Amino acid sequence: MIQQIVFIVLAALTVGSALGVITARHTVHAALFLVMTFVASAGLWLLLHAEFLALVLVLVYVGAVMVLFLFIVMMLDTDSQSLRQGLVRYAPLGVVVALIVFAEIGYVVYNRELGVSFGTPLPQAAGFSNTRALGETIYTVYAFPFEIAAVVLLVGIVAAIMLTLRRRPGVRHQNISKQVRVSAKRGRLRIVNMPSEPRPPEKNP
Amino acid sequence: MGMLHSLVSWWNALPADLQLTIRSIVFIVILIICLVLAVAYMTYAERRVIGFMQVRMGPNRVGPWGLLQPFADVFKLVFKEVVLPTNANRFLFLVAPVISITTALAAWAVIPFSNGVLLSNANAGLLYLLAVSSFGVYGIILAGWASNSRYAFLGAMRSAAQMVAYEIAMGFALVGVLLAGRSLNLNEIVLGQSGNIGHWYAWPLLPLFFVYFISGVAETNRLPFDVAEGESEIVAGFHVEYSGTAFAAFFLAEYANMILVSALATVMFCGGWLSPFQGWQALAASPLGFLTATSFIWFALKICFFLYCFLWFRATFPRYRYDQIMRLGWKVFIPITIVWLVLESIAVVFRIPPWFA
Amino acid sequence: MHALGRWVRSLLLVELFEGLALTGRLFFAHKFTIRYPEEHTPKSPRYRGLHALRRYANGEERCIACKLCEAVCPALAITIDSEMREDGTRRTTRYDIDLFKCVYCGLCEEACPVDSIVLTAITDFHFEKRGEQIYTKEMLLAFGDNYEAQIAADRAADAPYR
Repeated sequence: MIQQIVFIVLAALTVGSALGVITARHTVHAALFLVMTFVASAGLWLLLHAEFLALVLVLVYVGAVMVLFLFIVMMLDTDSQSLRQGLVRYAPLGVVVALIVFAEIGYVVYNRELGVSFGTPLPQAAGFSNTRALGETIYTVYAFPFEIAAVVLLVGIVAAIMLTLRRRPGVRHQNISKQVRVSAKRGRLRIVNMPSEPRPPEKNP
Repeated sequence: MGMLHSLVSWWNALPADLQLTIRSIVFIVILIICLVLAVAYMTYAERRVIGFMQVRMGPNRVGPWGLLQPFADVFKLVFKEVVLPTNANRFLFLVAPVISITTALAAWAVIPFSNGVLLSNANAGLLYLLAVSSFGVYGIILAGWASNSRYAFLGAMRSAAQMVAYEIAMGFALVGVLLAGRSLNLNEIVLGQSGNIGHWYAWPLLPLFFVYFISGVAETNRLPFDVAEGESEIVAGFHVEYSGTAFAAFFLAEYANMILVSALATVMFCGGWLSPFQGWQALAASPLGFLTATSFIWFALKICFFLYCFLWFRATFPRYRYDQIMRLGWKVFIPITIVWLVLESIAVVFRIPPWFA
Repeated sequence: MHALGRWVRSLLLVELFEGLALTGRLFFAHKFTIRYPEEHTPKSPRYRGLHALRRYANGEERCIACKLCEAVCPALAITIDSEMREDGTRRTTRYDIDLFKCVYCGLCEEACPVDSIVLTAITDFHFEKRGEQIYTKEMLLAFGDNYEAQIAADRAADAPYR
């Protein structure tokens, strides 16, 4: 009963904020709606006893990806008018993509061979650890796809760095290691020890 | 006596769910009251300790030794007006401090105060902590953005970049802990460090311990990593436009986060509520035998030590330059943690004594 | 080799621990703070604080309304009105010092031929309303009466150097 109510609230929140992402006028608001969507769907996963996935979703997407997203979006001065210009032109493509995704979801849901079960998840044994189960599956059954995904991501990182890394001649760089290494005792400051001047003779009053 | 008896029977007659709910709520209320008091006296301790380190007295006028100073400050803040800047985003401006304080308090749900004394004995406690603490940055970013002020925005940007950089190093350090403890449950992690002081994870994971604590200082935007506030450069950073209770909320969140980081360092690396003299037979037999008992007092003492370190750092180190902070996070801490994780994995796999046997 | 040593030093946070040791030591150092209302810093007999008008031992006020102090005051803080008293001597009817204008330079004291206006060592005074900063002749004379012993002692202590 309570689970039902929580599910309905979270589902409504997910759908509502997902709609907010594409209808919000301000890009920052859209990004915040996206954060909301992630959080609500993490809640849905928690309902399915998938606490590892839910927490990782929050950790990775809300904690890191969306922060960087917001970082960029807040700094950009986006003109929402020009963004909306090509809407009619690109709408068919968007519809096609949406249909494909929809069809994929439908295939997963209605294909009995994949063994997707519905309804409330089965209660697990007391010592059952979602994390351990997931780890065992990933590192035994799906070890190969997992490694391939990791390599693909690595290639992505390297490519992104290569795209942004450019050497510009004539630009002054600070060598931080060198700056940090500086020490007053070694070479920067020379303390000279010299005898003080002799005291002038006292004047007689 | 009869009244107590009837109260007990009334309690037993309640459904189990309701019992759990009431117990949790009472626990939460007590926890929050303790935390707020701890934060209040943390501000007092901060001013006193830093004062002492700068060879002066610190606040000592309100009440004996100035002990009532935090209450004077709180009353002052509460009675001030909350100013809304023009053109600020009203909703986000007011929601930001709430987010800050909520995340700072929510993380306490999985902290074990003593063996089994915790709100939620979740299996993925460590992950929950990381997830919740990663939320905290939203309070700062939204505050900075919604204030509609250059300084606040700069503070928010700095804070966002800094948080993302140090969260990775922090996460890696905690991965080391879960490798050693073989669990994501904080209670089990502490129990895995049973034995005397030599069994604490701080020893085999010393570099990770340092990286974790320094990242914790950076995550809470404390000196020497407080560029998000940077009062000499960007006035007060993200909370420059806040006043009164809204400002107090940020203040509370910052200090609650400090206590949280200290509590985590205690739980992960320093044996939580365990006594450092645990299992020392000679001491247990002597009149000082109570020192070997595991208790909440040890947990509190260790937290106090780490909090003192926070203040000590603040009194000692000058503020880092921003690019140096980034360099330290990305180019120093992350490589150190990765190298140590590899070494630790080897030790775990081959069961290398003394710690991983 | 040098570079390696430096690298190890920075990795082991040697310099940071040195800094921590310094502040750690100072934590226990003796604190020199003066707890103000209970303790006071010692003051020189030449200290220039609040003004006062002195009297002779027989109770006659010293001031003869020569207005030298008014003339010498660089901040124009002193206002003096005078008239002849019944016994034929010239006396002030008004002697106001605006303490907001006063810069406590002590030139009035130097100029005074009869040692009437002096700057005492009193520093604990404050104003709560506008207008209170103007100290009148009666107030200044009262200060002189109350603190005559200290004023005389300060003058005596400084006399050998004048």
